[in-house]
Amino acid sequence: MKKLIATLLLSMATCLCVAQNAKLPANVELKALDGSMVSSSTLQNGDKPFIISFWATWCHPCNRELNTIKDVYEEWQEETGVKVIAISIDDARSANRVKPHVDGHDWPYEVYIDENQAFKRAMNVINVPHTFIVNAQGEIVWQHTGYAPGDEEEVIEKVREIMGK
Amino acid sequence: MKNNNFRKTVWAGLLVFSFYFSPAMSQAQGVLGGHVTGNMQLDMQMSREDSTIGAPDVPEQMLMNARADILYTNGAFDAGLRFEAYTNPLLGFDKNYRGQGIANYFVSYHNDRISFTAGYFYEQFGNGMILRTYEDRNIGYDNALFGFNVHYQLMPGIMLKGVIGKQRYCWTLGNGIVRGVDAEVQLNSLIPAWADKELRVTLGGGVVSRYEPDTTIFSSPGYKLNLPLNVGAFSTRMDLAYRNWNLNVEYARKGQDPSFLNNYIYRYGQALTVNASYATRGFSVNLQAKRVDNMVFKSERAATDANGAKLYINYIPAINKEHTYAFLSMYPYSTQAQGEMGLQGDIIWRLPKDGFLGGTDIHLNSSVITALDMKVVGGMGTEGYTSDFFGTGDLYYGDASLEVTRKINSQLKLTALYGYQVVNPEIDGHSGALHHNNVVVGDLLWKINKKNALRFEAEWMGSDSRYTQEVDDKRCGDWIMGLVEYNFTSRWFVSVSDQYAYHDGTGNYYNISLGYTHNATRIQLGYGKQREGMICIGGVCRQMPALNGLTLTLSTSF
Repeated sequence: MKKLIATLLLSMATCLCVAQNAKLPANVELKALDGSMVSSSTLQNGDKPFIISFWATWCHPCNRELNTIKDVYEEWQEETGVKVIAISIDDARSANRVKPHVDGHDWPYEVYIDENQAFKRAMNVINVPHTFIVNAQGEIVWQHTGYAPGDEEEVIEKVREIMGK
Repeated sequence: MKNNNFRKTVWAGLLVFSFYFSPAMSQAQGVLGGHVTGNMQLDMQMSREDSTIGAPDVPEQMLMNARADILYTNGAFDAGLRFEAYTNPLLGFDKNYRGQGIANYFVSYHNDRISFTAGYFYEQFGNGMILRTYEDRNIGYDNALFGFNVHYQLMPGIMLKGVIGKQRYCWTLGNGIVRGVDAEVQLNSLIPAWADKELRVTLGGGVVSRYEPDTTIFSSPGYKLNLPLNVGAFSTRMDLAYRNWNLNVEYARKGQDPSFLNNYIYRYGQALTVNASYATRGFSVNLQAKRVDNMVFKSERAATDANGAKLYINYIPAINKEHTYAFLSMYPYSTQAQGEMGLQGDIIWRLPKDGFLGGTDIHLNSSVITALDMKVVGGMGTEGYTSDFFGTGDLYYGDASLEVTRKINSQLKLTALYGYQVVNPEIDGHSGALHHNNVVVGDLLWKINKKNALRFEAEWMGSDSRYTQEVDDKRCGDWIMGLVEYNFTSRWFVSVSDQYAYHDGTGNYYNISLGYTHNATRIQLGYGKQREGMICIGGVCRQMPALNGLTLTLSTSF
């Protein structure tokens, strides 16, 4: 019995050691702006990390965040090669307004619609905005809920950190 | 002795098992080669009776909604578990939530072609006009199906979906069995020669049917209604994208479905939505039209909406813009799935950088929603009414708003908004004639430095509601509001606000909140008064009573 418990304790310790970052959910269907469906497994940025930002057309802080990042996006991309993927959680009420919203505000991001919020649930997002950083291996390495002015600085700092800059 | 050893081993095993699956340990955990992620939210409320604003007495003194989701992923395999506790439910939430337990669990498997979920699941066909199950914790709505869900990619470009199950209502399941299939075809993926065409075409269609055993409903003494046990609905849809243009059309039809909400009439249901948009960098126009006729589709024919929306199989959202500034959302429009017609237009324009007021964002929006043109032909057990497809009835709601956002310099950003609304008070159960609201909002953001920011918001609403509406609606009158929000060290925020009905002087709603956010964890404490009113998210609304007291929210995702 003692041996058994010792073995179990050891295996528990091993379990703690292998604690690691979760992978991006692979099988969630997202709607591209041309109406076609893509799988969440296709979200990537080559050998560079990327940012996933959950937002909605009706959400003020989300719009503030994505409009702010837009102003510095070119610099971010030049420096780090990072990419922003904006996931709209607008449902059938406003999903058809997502493309006009994105184009009207001239957002340079890759945008998908998570119309029934399957991706939002799989990513454990409670409220928008919610921002993730995913590394080149497809692992979620950082996340943040809400947006206050200046939070974008923390996002790019984390990206630099991940890239070892 | 042997038995005792066996018991010890089982306990040790369980201990290790629970340890492996313990979410408290950290972020995502590597568990048996897979990962555990999750989220948790606690909402606590302490409210005291306040007759001036209509806040009810709360005998429990403290109310709480709590929820934790745990997801386990291992390669092609997923499993999830959700614990919910309403001890007791927050004010405004359905009292039938009272209690605690495992509210949702599922296992699922997927590969490149096929995926299935067994347990509780959420699914949507097309725009949801014949089927949508979803949940929104902010209004306590969850109509998840408990059963089986399959997605099968027949070949590139063809996706088939199937569902069967019963719907969740609080801690029970509805009486009806819901079955459905849906197919979606993407011509550009299906036909190799179309792969690079600029015209993108997606076609789809679905069928949903509900079975519910017979119930006894009398249309008049001695006349029992012959109720259909199976009620079917179908929809077809089309999505076209060509360069800057998009067109989305969906038409749905529902068989005879006498129910409590349509007063047990035998009329067919139908709904049509058309959405067209033109979008180019810095400018977009969007137009939407919809007509809904007798489209309440529930998995229990006798289900009411007395405690809030319940057991809807389909989703018919409101067509007007979802406003988030306080006064523009004081009278939200709740969709009338029984019957309505609506039009909505939206223009977003970013003025070219080098021109006059360059870089300014302009957002124009307007919508009109009316009743159907109905001719009553009978009561329970009959066709009920007839209706001219293009005819309109009484005005339900109308609004127009202009929002301008401009970056004044690198530190200051100003949003100014003017909105006008015409509201039919009968929509949310009040009485009186149409009333008209004018709303002005100013919202100034001052980014002091990288980590500190101040935001000021001022709102005014002038309304003739106090002349036209019943007096006990606490929203009547003219209002002013001020809000100051200070974000500091990029983690803390404090905000102070006050809404005041300056004409009758009975409503003075002050609020102070303090919050702290670190990564995906957030804690927020609020003290003050909350106006009674309606909260609408998408197609579902909930009547929220007034409250006077303390709220505390703690949430985290991992």
